[in-house]
Amino acid sequence: MTAPIEGNHPRHGLDEVIHAPVRFSIVATLAAADKAEFAFVRDTVEVSDSVLSRQVATLEKAGYVAVTKGYVGKRPRTWLALTAGGRAAFADHCRALRAIAGDTT
Amino acid sequence: MTEQAYAAEDAAAALARAQELSSTVREGAKWYVRYQVIYGCAAAVVVLAIGLLGHPYGVAIGVGFWGVVIAGLSVYSARQHVARRGFGRWHAGMIVAWALLYAAVLVPGTIWFQGAVAWWLPGALVVALPGLIGGYMEARR
Repeated sequence: MTAPIEGNHPRHGLDEVIHAPVRFSIVATLAAADKAEFAFVRDTVEVSDSVLSRQVATLEKAGYVAVTKGYVGKRPRTWLALTAGGRAAFADHCRALRAIAGDTT
Repeated sequence: MTEQAYAAEDAAAALARAQELSSTVREGAKWYVRYQVIYGCAAAVVVLAIGLLGHPYGVAIGVGFWGVVIAGLSVYSARQHVARRGFGRWHAGMIVAWALLYAAVLVPGTIWFQGAVAWWLPGALVVALPGLIGGYMEARR
């Protein structure tokens, strides 16, 4: 009996940063947008401000998300957007997920 | 159920969740339908004012109306919470298409067809098309 070859299974294509459920939801939301306001992402993903801040900081550190701060009138706004690297990583991650989803044998 | 089957189900669930989130973003970006339709209709009104109202009132009313509409649309868009993927490129394309059609109607119209309804009415419709078609396509996304 031969040992399975390390790295052949599609799960090896999963991105460790994106794989966490909340981060996956954040990235999936941003993947459909050019940019989204912090509050929109928070309400869409259904997490608290602090959880979103923490997860966005992780994604920003990985180079997947860009954070822009500004004002609309006198109201401060924070905008989130996927970077080109973030989009590529999410596309690869989804490719791996599709391969796994189709791999039921 | 095998561990692999569990993994497949998890992956399918994650992909379904991504689709669901994508739909939420699309719904949140529907404001751009209204933006484009208002832009298209306002563009037509401006062309009619410039072409059919007497000089210099037509130009003054048309340009003034356009300024108010664009200011309003700018405030409206700045207050939105999400812009869908590809919004920037699409919007730039819509503006360029409008600008080209506007010039194509306005330049010959002001030189040869001032006050001619047969020129300015179809011209207004043509200038409205980028916004109206854009709004229609946006609504179908």
